[in-house]
Amino acid sequence: MVAEFWRYAGMMLTTDFVLVTGKGGTGKSAVTAALAIERARRGQSVLAIDLGSGLGLGAHLRAPNLRYRPTEVRAGLWAMTMVRAAALDEYLKTQLHVPQGAPTKTITSALNVLVDTAPGVREIISIGKPVFELWKGTWDAVIVDTPSLGQFQSYLRAPETISDLVPTGTIKRQASSLAEVLADPSTTQVIIVANPAELPVLETLEAIEAIEAEHLCPRPSIVMNRTVRSAGFTADQLKLLPTGPIKEAAEHQLSIEALQSRWISEIDVDVSLPYLMGVLTPGEVALHLADELSSR
Amino acid sequence: MTKTLIVTGAGGVGKTTLSAGLGVSLARSGHTTLVLTIDPARRLADTLGVAALDDIPRQVANEPHLHAAMLDVSASWEAIIHRYADPDVADRLLVNPYFRAMADRFPAAQSYAAAERMAEYIESGHYDVLIVDTPPSEGGIDFFLAPAKTGDLISGKLLRWLTGSSLPGRSILYRFTARPMLRLADTVLGGAMLSDVADFLLDLRTMYDQLSVRSKAIERHLRAAETVIATTADPTPIHETRRFFDELAGIKIAPTAILFNQMLPQSWIASDLTAGRLEIDDKDLAVVATRNLSLWASEARRHSVAARELSARYGLPVHELTWQVPPPTTLDDLADLVADVTVLAD
Repeated sequence: MVAEFWRYAGMMLTTDFVLVTGKGGTGKSAVTAALAIERARRGQSVLAIDLGSGLGLGAHLRAPNLRYRPTEVRAGLWAMTMVRAAALDEYLKTQLHVPQGAPTKTITSALNVLVDTAPGVREIISIGKPVFELWKGTWDAVIVDTPSLGQFQSYLRAPETISDLVPTGTIKRQASSLAEVLADPSTTQVIIVANPAELPVLETLEAIEAIEAEHLCPRPSIVMNRTVRSAGFTADQLKLLPTGPIKEAAEHQLSIEALQSRWISEIDVDVSLPYLMGVLTPGEVALHLADELSSR
Repeated sequence: MTKTLIVTGAGGVGKTTLSAGLGVSLARSGHTTLVLTIDPARRLADTLGVAALDDIPRQVANEPHLHAAMLDVSASWEAIIHRYADPDVADRLLVNPYFRAMADRFPAAQSYAAAERMAEYIESGHYDVLIVDTPPSEGGIDFFLAPAKTGDLISGKLLRWLTGSSLPGRSILYRFTARPMLRLADTVLGGAMLSDVADFLLDLRTMYDQLSVRSKAIERHLRAAETVIATTADPTPIHETRRFFDELAGIKIAPTAILFNQMLPQSWIASDLTAGRLEIDDKDLAVVATRNLSLWASEARRHSVAARELSARYGLPVHELTWQVPPPTTLDDLADLVADVTVLAD
């Protein structure tokens, strides 16, 4: 029996595949939500997938209880979250094509053991789901919120890891077609979300270096999130301000501007998104960022 | 007796900086202190002298009572294997790709390595105070659950399923190939993946008795420690903080304080509300500087609301720590940051 994914091998994919990653705390989920909202506003049909486990995409899309089955969270925008058991089940049914009469239960349990022990298997199943959605050809864009830079790199490396461990078999074949999609610049776009601060910038640079050395995916774009906008005064004007909160806030602002530009100068920024002052909820943050993206 | 403080919380809130600050301040009050850091930023690592490539605690320059060490997950696991496995099993495990993958990527493995190191430092009796900066988790309280999770992996639950035996031994592998269902599973999944996994688990299993005793000891240390949660006012860390409280309650660990990092002066809020015109000659500057205060005051207001909500919800002191730009890296600035925080009081 020909596995379903072979039917897609060599087929032109018309869906954009956007993978969003970044150091924890940089605002990956907010940026993912904003990218999805912005595309949906332009009339695209978009699937946003949360592979993480933090506050996550759901809160930023004002749909806190996302499930494995995609639900429409606003016009044209569907969202889902990774649920390991459901993904395993789907993987088994649609990808592994267990022969008729085979002991599905045994194979499910076997797969469960592998997910907990064998390198790459958990990752293949996680990153596999968004790619299956891509292959369906029903979305204009599939946008994925991935957990962290480290986790993201293990997704990218998973196909090779698996090839090293197993010489043959369905998982291996399926893993190599995943690798092709991930490395294909006409389909896949990788976005690393950073903040203009030491650890996020250094970790982003390290990740880019590793990704480029291994040719695992197209060159990532950098979204510099939480960039405090210039206030429009300079350090030599500080002495004109009387002592008190106005001057303190001005000093704080200038220290941040200086620190930011030090770290921004270390990296090529593709898109800069603002630090949103006084914005309270994740949903508001995502909408503001989507407005920023639209205005470009 | 070593007193232990565990600093936990979401990524990016300044756990490492706060751990270092608390270390400096406790060392300065005369306690021989060790800070176990996970992944400090470069300048902080330089200050603590942990930039070296090993994980041996060293005294921090110019701070006689303060020592620091950085966690090295691979080295910790190698030490664990050498301590608890027979030499020939250890040699096999250390080159086994499944073992390497577990040590590098299994989230509980990094946390287990940190918890094991913590236990060693407590048991060494060298320190009055140990401060543990916790590894980034995939969300939730990995660090506290690591001993149990690692125990599950090694306990042979998976192995028993694979081999169909209640007391697996190496000879069982022979029978593995005789189980047609598993053979079929292997064919579908590829190669001899399942039997390779079984092989690896058999080796791990030989350490089970010793490691499970060890895990229990580590859990006792975790329970005896004081735990504080660090956060900032951003939605993600706040959400994580709530999750930490819920999950810690589930394993009967009660955090003693919340360290609320990157707060802005509350005086800015009142001043923004009462500010009239700023009477200076440069009218343009007056406008932008007043607007700047307004923006930061709205941030300060958001911080204050978030801190009060957390404090009320959990009935705990919230220590508000001033947002320093750039983040403190000198010993004095680190100590200043946490000057008003009381932890490990009797």
